[in-house]
Formats: sequence, C-alpha cells, structure tokens
Amino acid sequence: MNVLIVEDEKALTNELEIFLSNSNYICDVCFNGASASEKIATNLYDFILIDLGLPDYDGLDLLKEAKKYNPEAACIILTARAEVNDRIKGLDLGADDYLPKPFSLLELQSRMQAIMRRKFGLKHSVVMLGNFVIDLTNRTISYNNTPIGTITKKEFDLVAYMLLHKNRTLTRSQLSEHIWGSVVNDDYDSNYIDAHIKNIRKKLNVYSSPDWLETVRGLGYRININH
Amino acid sequence: MKLGTKLTLFNTISKVVIVVLFVLLLPTLIRDINQSYTDNWLRHQKDKVLKIVSGPGINNYIQNGEGYGSYNALLKEEYVSLDVDSLNENIDTIINENRLVEGDTIQYRILSHNFKVGKQNYILEIGKSIDTINETTTPLQNIALEILLGMILLTILADQVYSTYVLRPLGLIIKTKLIGHKFPNHTPYKKVKTSTTDFEYLDISIHKMIQTIENTFQKEREFISNASHELMTPISILQSKIENMFEEEDMPDETKVRLIEMQKILNRLKSITKTLLLISQIENEQFLKEDSISLSELIHEVYEEISIRLQEKEINCEIDIPAEWRLNHVNKFLLFNLFFNLINNAIKYNKEHGEIKITGHTDNKFFLVAIADTGIGISAERVPHIFNRFKKFTQSLQQDSFGLGLPIVKSIADFHHIRIEVTSEPGSGTTFKLIFPADLITAQF
Repeated sequence: MNVLIVEDEKALTNELEIFLSNSNYICDVCFNGASASEKIATNLYDFILIDLGLPDYDGLDLLKEAKKYNPEAACIILTARAEVNDRIKGLDLGADDYLPKPFSLLELQSRMQAIMRRKFGLKHSVVMLGNFVIDLTNRTISYNNTPIGTITKKEFDLVAYMLLHKNRTLTRSQLSEHIWGSVVNDDYDSNYIDAHIKNIRKKLNVYSSPDWLETVRGLGYRININH
Repeated sequence: MKLGTKLTLFNTISKVVIVVLFVLLLPTLIRDINQSYTDNWLRHQKDKVLKIVSGPGINNYIQNGEGYGSYNALLKEEYVSLDVDSLNENIDTIINENRLVEGDTIQYRILSHNFKVGKQNYILEIGKSIDTINETTTPLQNIALEILLGMILLTILADQVYSTYVLRPLGLIIKTKLIGHKFPNHTPYKKVKTSTTDFEYLDISIHKMIQTIENTFQKEREFISNASHELMTPISILQSKIENMFEEEDMPDETKVRLIEMQKILNRLKSITKTLLLISQIENEQFLKEDSISLSELIHEVYEEISIRLQEKEINCEIDIPAEWRLNHVNKFLLFNLFFNLINNAIKYNKEHGEIKITGHTDNKFFLVAIADTGIGISAERVPHIFNRFKKFTQSLQQDSFGLGLPIVKSIADFHHIRIEVTSEPGSGTTFKLIFPADLITAQF
C-alpha cells in the first residue's frame, strides 16, 4: 500500500512515517503543497493524508487535484483547524475521512483499514478466537453458533478495536480515546476501560475462558492471535 | 421611576400648587380689585355731584339747613347725602361704616367730602352698600377660577405631549440598545433619530461602549480559538511520538509505564484544549441547529454511553421522559454532550448506591427536564459560580476533572436558548432543571 503524507510539521510527518512503515505501508512524504501537487500528478497512491493547514497551499485544492489525478486513492484529511465548516467542505469534496488533530496513530490506522474494507467490499469479516467467533460485519460474538446477546455496543467496540490491532498492547488511553473520543467532557483520567474489560470477561467466561484477551500488567490490554 | 413619569408628576404637582395658591389668594385679590373700582366710582360720583351742585347753587338742595338725601328706596344700594357741616373740618375719606336707613342697619362704603360754598362748610357723603359691591365678587372669582383651570389643563396637556415627544429617543435607546441588546450582536449600528444632542451623545456613547465590550469578547473568543488550535499540532506530535515509542520492541517495561503516565498527562492537556475549543466554537456559533431527535432516545443513548460509570458506583438511574417529545432545530452532538456532562456530574458527585432521576414534564408553554441526584450537593453561596470556567469546589475530586464540565453545559444551553435552574441541598443532592423554549420541543409521535 502506497501512502502519501502531506504535512508541513516535520516532527509529525516523521512519526506518521515510522508508524505506517511499521504497519507495512510504503510512505512518501511532502512538507508543502507544491511538491505534494507534483507528486499527486505523477504517482499513484492508495492513501493520501492531507493536512489542511499547509503554509503554501489550500489543502482543499490539493484534495481536488487528488480526486482528479489519483481517483483510486483514499483521501483522509488531517487538521488542527477543526472548524465545523471545513469538515463538511472536505467531505463534500470527496474526502474519505476526516481526522481532527490530535489523533491517535491507532485511530488513523483503523480508519484506513475501514476505508479498505469498504473499498474492496469485504462482505463478511469473521475472526475465530479460540472457540469464539467474532463477526465484525454483523457486530456479534458467538460461541458454538450461539450469539452472546449480553455483549453491549461499547464492549463489542472494544473487542473489535483490539482485534484490529491484534498482538499489540493497547493502553487505556488509546482504548478510551477510541470509544469515548467524540464525547467532550470533564474527565481526563477515567479507568472505566477496566470495568468494561471485566464485564467482557465475565460474559465470555460463562461459555469458555477467553485466554486470548490478555491483561498486560501496568500497560494495558491486548488480543493475541497466533498464526 | 421612569423619567417621563417623573416629569409628568412634577408638571402636575407644580400646577396644582399654583392653582391652590391662586384659589387661596383669589378672594382677597378680587375684594381689593372691587374696592379700588368702587372707590374710583365713588370719586367719580363725587365730582359729578360737585359739578351739579355748583351749577344751580347749593341752596337748591339745602333749604333751611335741612340736608339733601337720596337713595334707592327699595334696595338701599346707594345713597347720596348733602348737608351743612357745623364743624369746621376738612374730611376727604373713603371708609366702611354702618348707616341706619329706615330702620335697617346697612354697611356702606362711604366717601365723605367737605367743601365750602361762601363761608358755609358742607359735607357730601356718597355710599354704596357693601353687599352690592360683593355681589360681583363671587361670579368674578368663579370666572377667574374657570379660566385658570382651563389654562392649567391645557399646559399640562401640552407639557405631556412635548415631553413624550422629546423623551421618545431616550425610550428607544433604552429599548433597543440596552434591554434588547444581546451578545454577540451581529446587527449593524442604527442611529436613534433625535434632535436632542444629549441623547445623540448618549446613543453614540452606549454604542461605543458596547463595541468595546464586543471587541473584548471577540478578542477573548479568538484568542481561545487560536490558542487551542495552535496547541493541537504540538499535542498531536507528542501523542504520536509516545505511541511510536510505546511500540518499540527494545523498550523496557518500566519505560513503557512512564510513557503511559506521559500519555495520561497529555490526555489531560488534550481534554482541556478540546473543551476550550468546543466552547469557543459554540460561542462563535459554528454549529448548525438542523437536527430533529427524540429526547428520550437521546437520553437513552447517553445512558448507554455512561452506564459503565453508573455500574461502578452502583447508582440506580431512572429515566422518565415522555416518548413523544421531539427536539427540533437542535445540534445533536452538542445536546448529547450537554446531557453527558450533566449525568456524568450526577454520577461523579453522587454517593455509592445513590440515585439519579431524569424526569420530563410540561409547565405552561415550557418543557422541563430535571436531572436530580442524591449526591454531596452544592452550598448556596457556590451555586452562582458553578458555571464559571476552571472553578472547582471539591478538593477530593481534583484528580478527575478540571472544572469545565458545567461551562460546556452552560454554553450549549445558551446556544439553544435553554434555561438552567439549579437547586441544591448540601448533603442530600442537586437538581439541574433544564427549561426548553416552546419552539424547541414538540410533543408528537
């Protein structure tokens, strides 16, 4: 997968590149709009990440160019200027997603994967975990063909997110940002993730012990899948 | 009291005082006028008599020392008498005196005058009865009074009309510039029409002051908006760096634990910045109000989001909102956050096994939603400050919040013209009552 990162903040570009390269993406970077415009016109990408706040270029113009020369590429807007209108404009111009800064790298990756799933029409995405079957399309967890009805929406979200980033330890901050990211509230240090995980374990234990769901002491949680 | 009312009152009172003074003075005044008129008349009569007498000679009237007298026989209003005066005096007076006429004692105003013909001294008396004089007094008084009252009424009316006219610009300034003014104001400055320079000055001064306030507000909002936007990029860089470092394979676990601590602190910074940004976006009216949602569904969505927190504290939450209530022309994202923060507070400041009741009812034209908890409560002197930014009261909860939850609630409520009333009983609980304007909710299935 080829990714073009257009971001004038070098330190951030650098981190994006490290992270995406580790996740097996091939990265190309631009620090300004002019060179990005050139690259968009000459190369083909699967993903184009565009920062709207470029010093020399209107990010939305870049988006139009991308749609013209790189119609296959999925465009994700990254911006610190989270103006409500920008978001609407960006999505109207054909951006596939919109990620306001600051964002978690894991969140970026999960958005990219979601776009790929949509694009390639992965109709039924099912994962086997021990004796449990996680159906990511219908959002159910079942055991021996019996769906476990007690799992709530939030609990499923957590399992799905960990599954997406399997074999990777996710911190409580990363998990709560994913499931409560849209809520703007007063708390910054809620450990309600522990309560959720406890509930998930309790509900699954009725059927079988979910050994694949690991608590990494002091760090967070992870789902292990051995290939 | 309004200036117009004060002026009217003063006008009326001052005129009433003038009327009363005049009414008190009027009898004396009229009497004096009457008297001087009578005296003039008497003198005139005297001159006439003297002229008559000097013609045919005094002896035509006085014969054998017998005096001449003439009066209106029936009414005894006037009399003239001419007599020989034995005393050698020189009287020329006008006084009030009683005279006995045909058995009646009548008070007269009498002119007495001595004159000489040859060596003989004569006395002339002309009298007019006081009653006759006074006869004209009363009608005169009445006429004067009527004219006076009429004029006073006319001036009061004129004053009233003029002061209303002249004060109208002031009323307009108060109505449009002070009472009707809302922050932020997007309507352009409209001059109040007036020819009174004081009002012109007042109008322009108020306008300038409001502009100064608006500018300050605007600057503060812009500052918060810019500052929080500018902070987003560095926070984003730090967050990415921490996440990448956390993934590095040779990173020892102790270092990872410290990275998590950094992540938590960064989250705190992120939350504060995001919250400030949200408040400034609401205040700059960047959100649309185009959603139409069921209130009950919205609250149940919040409930689902927050239920883990209820479970943790084993708090029982009852929701009783009429299913047919629909919110129109609202922003769902913002209202979700409003209820999330209110219910979250109700959990945070509640005791274990406590209760939360979310109820809806109508009161006249308004729809009320009350969120009542059984928590620690807020003391009366703190209630007015709970919506201030960064205001925190409970020290023990300092670790979990930074005092922006209720300011978010307040700005979202203001944005939707929802009023908030807070009643609290320290130790037994707090109730937040949201009063929705009638056009925001419809009760339809």
